[in-house]
Amino acid sequence: MIPAHASGSVSGVIDEASPLLRADAVSFSYGSHAVLHDVDVTVPAGGLVGVLGPNGSGKTTLLKLLAGLLTPGAGRVTLDGRDTAGLDRVTIARRLAVVPQETELAFDYSVLEIVLMGRYPHLHAFELEGPADLDIARRMLAATGTADLEQRSFRTLSGGEKQRVILASALAQFESRTTTDDDPGASRVLLLDEPTSSLDLAFQLETAALLGRLNRDHGMTVIVCTHDLNFAAGLCRDLVLLRDRRILAAGPTDAVLTPDTIAAVYDVDADVHRHAVSRQLTVVPLARR
Amino acid sequence: MTDMLRRRVATITCLVGLLSVLVGAQGGPRRIVSVVPALTEALFAIGAGPDVVGVGSFDSHPPEVASRPRVGGLLDPDMEQIFRLRPDLVILYGSQRDQIEQLTRAGIPVFSYAHGGVADTLSVIRQLGTRTGRADDAARVSAAIETQLADVRARVGDRERPRVLLVFGREPGSLRNIYASGGIGFLHDMLEAAGGANVFADVPRESVQLTSEAILTAAPEAIIELTYDDRMTLDTQAAEIAVWNRLSSVPAVRNRRVRLLLGNQFVQPGPRLGDATAAIARALHPEAF
Amino acid sequence: MSVSTIPAVAPVTAGDLRRRIWLVQIGFAALTVLACVTAPLIGPTTISLRQVFDSSIPFAENVDAQIFFIARLPRALAGALVGASLAAAGVVLQALLRNPLATPFTLGVSAGASLGAMLVITLGLPLTVVGVPAVPIASFAGALAAVAVVYALATLRRQGLSTNVLLLAGVTLNSLFSAIILFVQYLADFTRSFQAVRWVMGNLDVSSYGPILSALPLMGIAFVVFARLPRALNLLTLGAEGAATRGIDVLRTQRLAFLSASLVTGAAVALGGPIGFIGIIIPHLVRLLVGADHRLVLPASAFLGAAFLVACDVAARTVLSPMELPVGVITAMLGGPFFLWLLIRHR
Repeated sequence: MIPAHASGSVSGVIDEASPLLRADAVSFSYGSHAVLHDVDVTVPAGGLVGVLGPNGSGKTTLLKLLAGLLTPGAGRVTLDGRDTAGLDRVTIARRLAVVPQETELAFDYSVLEIVLMGRYPHLHAFELEGPADLDIARRMLAATGTADLEQRSFRTLSGGEKQRVILASALAQFESRTTTDDDPGASRVLLLDEPTSSLDLAFQLETAALLGRLNRDHGMTVIVCTHDLNFAAGLCRDLVLLRDRRILAAGPTDAVLTPDTIAAVYDVDADVHRHAVSRQLTVVPLARR
Repeated sequence: MTDMLRRRVATITCLVGLLSVLVGAQGGPRRIVSVVPALTEALFAIGAGPDVVGVGSFDSHPPEVASRPRVGGLLDPDMEQIFRLRPDLVILYGSQRDQIEQLTRAGIPVFSYAHGGVADTLSVIRQLGTRTGRADDAARVSAAIETQLADVRARVGDRERPRVLLVFGREPGSLRNIYASGGIGFLHDMLEAAGGANVFADVPRESVQLTSEAILTAAPEAIIELTYDDRMTLDTQAAEIAVWNRLSSVPAVRNRRVRLLLGNQFVQPGPRLGDATAAIARALHPEAF
Repeated sequence: MSVSTIPAVAPVTAGDLRRRIWLVQIGFAALTVLACVTAPLIGPTTISLRQVFDSSIPFAENVDAQIFFIARLPRALAGALVGASLAAAGVVLQALLRNPLATPFTLGVSAGASLGAMLVITLGLPLTVVGVPAVPIASFAGALAAVAVVYALATLRRQGLSTNVLLLAGVTLNSLFSAIILFVQYLADFTRSFQAVRWVMGNLDVSSYGPILSALPLMGIAFVVFARLPRALNLLTLGAEGAATRGIDVLRTQRLAFLSASLVTGAAVALGGPIGFIGIIIPHLVRLLVGADHRLVLPASAFLGAAFLVACDVAARTVLSPMELPVGVITAMLGGPFFLWLLIRHR
């Protein structure tokens, strides 16, 4: 057991040096139902963080708070030191994108149209997408392996294809057309909710590889909510473990992902070992406590 | 209602029905309920007023109806109230099939009414006389109306018959949803008797909803507008007549021959039919009176 | 039931999109102009255009000119405005509620308007207010009252605007108002309730330009707002959160969309009565033709709605001449089967 959790919340501090996205003593409730209580999370620029926890532990709510989609009942969320509640949506959208677990369209659009929607924060009120925007959209389709779906109807795609198209649309938010309108060096934040839930094995690997590349090669900050401990173990440098509205443990993956913490979070006995071939931490659940 | 109670009620109603038949055989019904304003009026006119024990919601003529209990109207006959009045004759609209059936089952005689032309109105009054044992009175009333009509015809017969638009419904304050008399029915008959030529005589319907184009094309020489609202202020009357000024190419408008006639006698074909016809004739041929 | 549309052929180059938007707008606008120009020439009476525009005959004596300028032209203009308003409001509300079955009347606006009109007609309230007929004024007031109630309910419970509450409040208000309407009618006498029922079927025979001119500014304001909405409506298709993370101020967009669509619906209903089917058929028809991009769908629906209602109204005033056929009956009878045919054809 982690002793700290009894005495209060464990801060999800990962690197105090350069906090990019930070939740500061954040609480949130839906009506009278408290979902998160006094949660601290700090994500540095270039971080690659997994958020783990059982169903109902508040993972998705934390993600939405970090994305500025929900306003905390207490505490605040800052992006680059600025309270997200005070930032306009366009400013946030250029820096931060979200890939939700599922996307249901009210009306049917083509894949290219969906990806072009990611260009919204870079267009003026009556401006149409120009060649630069189309070029960006196509690059993102290529990056997510969906280039050949460009003219398909979004509704006819499989769950995995939809997920990747939405990822492409989210990535399209980050590309500036000019160097003046944004700080091109500033790290972008990509928040993903259960990105692998509808992907088959091959695409799980491919998505993990893509997220790793975006983080490594493009300095993108990636935060992933997931149920898949092995996916998180293989991808994330740091983990935040949620249980009962609080953070139970946070820190580097190797330090946090132990049989004790897994038992504390999930009530499950598990074996954690380094895999012989992949050299990554592997969790094998053994029995429910 | 329990079965026994229902049976008892049925027995009582049967007895009442039987009794009423016996009474009727002796000297006509003594407890009459009428929901048809025109026939209520006719009952009073033929001297059956004292026998009227229930009247319709919209009955207002003669003034004595004010003292009788109301039993609903065309759309909302209050059957319970009608039964409670223990009638031995009920006058209903022919379209009130369910109610007619209910009463017939209970053994209560029904006089069902359907309006038609002027001749039908006169014949209905005579039938009502026969049913109430007052055939002579009814014949007198009917003859009086015929005399009135003959008098009107005599006064206007050799005069030039203006082409008349006879309006009986219109959205207040505008020229929308105008309803006028077609070539059949008591309104048409009254108009023709009053020395007017109905401009829509060739439309084989009682009522026609007109377009403004139809009125412009028909170019009536006089417009008679009937409204049952006899409390309309003089200002409102003037305003409603002024609405027609928009159609200035219509001869009736140009020559100021638009007349508003107030009162329910114009829309309820009953004993005052002769008066109503005379009023229309006076409006069309003031010099003849 | 979900109404699916065939996918749009997305632009392949940036120039394509620009061209498409212009082509679609010009094409559909041409249809509207054609309808408005042709409609006054068609009617049961043959009129001579030379006489219509002959200024040597005084207008008061020029029957042809009166038929053209009183009986036909105002109807065509009113039809165009009402059709454009209802179709555009349908597009906006379907996107706002993320519900392809939403219509301009879903949120209670028409029921409020009908109740207002009904009260004036059946209770015989004052017939004019400062020279303007009371029925349109009362119906517009009723529409505003309904909008206020629905909006208050949808914003009361939590931060933001709940489209679910909006929808439920609208549907509930619709039935509540319908019940009150029935009650008022029940108490009213027969002739008056018949007039009221007739009002509900819609009528564009305005026979003057006053009602059109009074509706125009309200519709103008709404359309200025509509012009700014299409891209935000596109993003709302991803859901409120999908739109927000892409830079949309969702609450502001929802507010603007709801209020402008309600305003334009209220004005349209006050002008022509609650004419059904346009607000749902036209948007879907347009989506089948041009895809789902609201930058195409919104203007194209407005233009097609205008042309369609003008055409329906020509039928309303000619088919049974000299009798008028309720235009709402025609929109439903033409629109319903046509829409079903489109659905079947594209399945």
